[in-house]
Amino acid sequence: MRSLDKLRLRLRSLFWRARVEAELAAELSFHLEQQIAENLAAGMSAQEARHAALRVFGGVTQIQERCREMRGNRWLEQLLQDLSYALRALRRSPVFALVAIFSLALGIGANTAIFSLIDALLLRTLPVRDATRLVAVGNPARVGSMSSGSVRNDLFSCPLYEQIRSQNQVFTDVFASGRTGKLTVGTSASSEKTETARGRLVSGNYFSLLGVNAFRGRTFTAQEDRGSGAAPFVVISHGYWQKHFARDDAVIGRRILLNGFPFTIIGVAPPEFFGDIVGVPTEIWIPLSMQGQVNPGRVYKDRWDVGWLLLMGRLKPGVSIARARAEINVLFPRILAERAGSSFSRDLLPRTDKMGVEVTPGAAGFSALRREFSQPLFTLMGIVALVLVVACANVANLLLERAMARRKEIAVRLALGAGPARLIRQLLTESVLLSALGGALGLLFALWAGTALLRLVGVSTSAALDLHPDPLVLAFTAGVSIVTGLLFGLAPALRATRVELAPTLKESARSVAGSGSGARWPLAKLLVVAQFAVSLLLVTGAGLFVRTLQNLQHLDLGYARDSLLLVNVDPVMAGYKGARLASFPRELAERLQALPGVTAVSYSENGIFSGTESSTSVRVEGFKSPPSGDPSINYDRVGASYFRTIGIPLLDGRDFGPRDGVGAPGVAVVNEAMAKQYFPAVNPIGKRLVITGPPDVEFEIVGVSRDVRDHDLRAAVPPRFYIPLLQSGDFDVAPNFEIRTRKPAALVEPIRRSLQAFDRNLPMRDLAPLTSMIDDSITNERIIAKLSAVFGVLGLLLASLGLYGVISYTIARRVNEIGIRMALGARRPRVLWMVLSETLVLALAGIVLGVPAALGLAGVVKSRLFGLSASDPATLVTATGVLILVAVLAGVIPGSRATRVNPVQALRYE
Amino acid sequence: MGKPNDLVQGTLDLLILKTISLEPMHGWALAKRIQQISQDVLRVQQGSLYPALHRLEQQAWIKGHWGETETGRQAKLYSLTRAGRVQLERELANWGRLSHAINLVAGMA
Repeated sequence: MRSLDKLRLRLRSLFWRARVEAELAAELSFHLEQQIAENLAAGMSAQEARHAALRVFGGVTQIQERCREMRGNRWLEQLLQDLSYALRALRRSPVFALVAIFSLALGIGANTAIFSLIDALLLRTLPVRDATRLVAVGNPARVGSMSSGSVRNDLFSCPLYEQIRSQNQVFTDVFASGRTGKLTVGTSASSEKTETARGRLVSGNYFSLLGVNAFRGRTFTAQEDRGSGAAPFVVISHGYWQKHFARDDAVIGRRILLNGFPFTIIGVAPPEFFGDIVGVPTEIWIPLSMQGQVNPGRVYKDRWDVGWLLLMGRLKPGVSIARARAEINVLFPRILAERAGSSFSRDLLPRTDKMGVEVTPGAAGFSALRREFSQPLFTLMGIVALVLVVACANVANLLLERAMARRKEIAVRLALGAGPARLIRQLLTESVLLSALGGALGLLFALWAGTALLRLVGVSTSAALDLHPDPLVLAFTAGVSIVTGLLFGLAPALRATRVELAPTLKESARSVAGSGSGARWPLAKLLVVAQFAVSLLLVTGAGLFVRTLQNLQHLDLGYARDSLLLVNVDPVMAGYKGARLASFPRELAERLQALPGVTAVSYSENGIFSGTESSTSVRVEGFKSPPSGDPSINYDRVGASYFRTIGIPLLDGRDFGPRDGVGAPGVAVVNEAMAKQYFPAVNPIGKRLVITGPPDVEFEIVGVSRDVRDHDLRAAVPPRFYIPLLQSGDFDVAPNFEIRTRKPAALVEPIRRSLQAFDRNLPMRDLAPLTSMIDDSITNERIIAKLSAVFGVLGLLLASLGLYGVISYTIARRVNEIGIRMALGARRPRVLWMVLSETLVLALAGIVLGVPAALGLAGVVKSRLFGLSASDPATLVTATGVLILVAVLAGVIPGSRATRVNPVQALRYE
Repeated sequence: MGKPNDLVQGTLDLLILKTISLEPMHGWALAKRIQQISQDVLRVQQGSLYPALHRLEQQAWIKGHWGETETGRQAKLYSLTRAGRVQLERELANWGRLSHAINLVAGMA
């Protein structure tokens, strides 16, 4: 009640100020009149009575001012005054205001754009009930992965999930979610047109654990977990409902075909809920129990050796995440120890001793992008912060210049009794107003830039990352704006109010020259030096990242990268079985081979730069692995003519051929690294290699291939061997086809048509030239290189503007001096050199300061570089050269203007 | 008149609250009443009175409203709010404690 009254009074004095003031005046004059009346009654004359009353009363204005101060929102009133004054001041010099606001908008906008990416990817919590109590179990980056062959600690099998769920004491409940693989959606079996959707297989408690209620219909319950294939129900996202069903309420109960199997839509999720994966919004949720129906031909729901689920638990009240982590890491090995030998073979136990299970905060959901992009995002955040520093220095310079022009005004105000503190506050209000306007514009800029940045780097998930500014982003922008406003405003404000009154007031309007601080390096020049130092950092950084990218893009892979086209197909999903499945790769290879323009075709399980790799443990005659060492080694199952097709040179022996088929003696090709490790002294040709089973399978080494980079550009080539797919005994693969051709891009469409003609139902993925697959594998490097280059140019542009401004200003102040010099016979080149040398001195000073800083900072990003050292001299020299060039350009314009000074006019100028 | 008594900060609040707790009154009457009751010992200067009134009003302890005086003139009359009554009790208690303590010290033999 009382606080409400107080608020009412404050608002009243703020918005009905005139009325409040009138009341105050009336109140005081009433008092005065009473005093006069009393004096009259005491026998004084009218005039005497009045004078005496006034004497007693004291200064009316002072009392009024003190009453005003009592109102409590004095500071707010002053702020409003300052603001309206600042607005007027800015309107008076629109060019200054525009330049300042625009540079700030660029700086703040760049920061906001990068921050909103960080926010969307790293900071934002899932829009679910009490997200902070959620805990992710497993590696939260492996959202779309599946791996078979052993029990895993980063991805879990369904039986393992059930054990963890029922045995743990720390979670109220645990849900599991896993990939669907490719999901085609049709409306009827006969329909030709199918679309793909982003699906997720989830346990029945998924929605209830997250606290997400259906927008229409219902969500899953424990009922959906019972039995395999008994719950053909799906929940669709609000977006999917909107896009495909036009928000029709009758969608509940509709039938849709997922990978050919009929499901019934039972619910629509609320609009804000995008699922458990950040960056890849789920469109269709399917019960876990339907895994076998969603992936026809591949049922692994009940297998212990297939890891494909990520788990998310909700902590019981009072349980900390540390306790949950400890418990899960006790529980996990215990379950495995209990079940090994009974539920699954001991051979399926993980090979390593490192059995730690990751237990991390789950509030932000799972994300494949998070781990990959958090580092580059923080690097970029640092870069844009530097850009903002350069922009701030620019505005500070503009403000300094303005303060010089306003010296007289400020001197007058000081002389009239304005306190310096009050004046500084006024000037700071002006600079914060500038930065606030810049921030507002920057926010608009960031909205556009956020998606543009993602598009620039070709991140295909741009549609999925929600970059709308949430309160955190807005707070960030506001905070940055205010801080920058104070930062660049403080020095000019302090400088401006340190005026010697008498000389300034006596000065004529024109003869500003020569006065001022008189320092050899005034603040304005120091700011330009700082800008150049920071710009050197930006340009050097950009140079290092761009050259890293170039090094990666031109790295010798060991084969020609620009004559291969790749495609992944999945015969199992299309229903191939038995002998048909076994002969499928060869038949399709022959079909593709017949296309005009194709020189060779082969296939392999893991492909090139596909992101998947197999490993197995092997026994090699005559080789003893050290007891602690990991006996497993990478390998691939490939088709005939694999090495010839890819272009991998064979150092010894032969390529696989048609004769290496089912039933023929097992053969293998090892790479150089493997040959060196396993056969340091002897020729591996003819030696035997056993993939340990059960059952053990033996292969004779028939070739040694050169080490090539087929999955990773940066790391050293690991030991790897190859065996024919047909001899591996297992045809349940989705093979990658490698197609050799002169013009990969031109062949994309013919290959697509040929595949469709071969089998209309054959799912295909990643039909693309190898070069674009490689580009995908270095997305990070491309993002950083492109963006750091953009920001480097931006910083340089701002710095050169700053330099240009300062030099122009100095020239304008020295017109007189230049006139005298020219009158005394100085030639134009000499005048030009005078200006240029001044420019260069500033730039060089910045460079001298910037080089050690650049060397220091480059050390920080060392791990992101490739093929060059952090102190790469060529980059540093180039950056320096660029800076000097820019400085010369920034100096030539005012310099040539100086040479056109007419001595006669210049001398009359004063 | 000089300054016969510098009112301790806070004491003025007590005087104002107590005086207007009897009946609503305007600033002039308030000053006169304090002077009269204290038998001319306490004289509140206008320069302190009005800022104090505005401060107390801002604290919502007293409320100002325009009304007619006995002479038929418009004046701003102040009255005590409920919160002000609580505050007055508090100030009175404080004052009682303070004056008792001072008496103890001053009365030492």
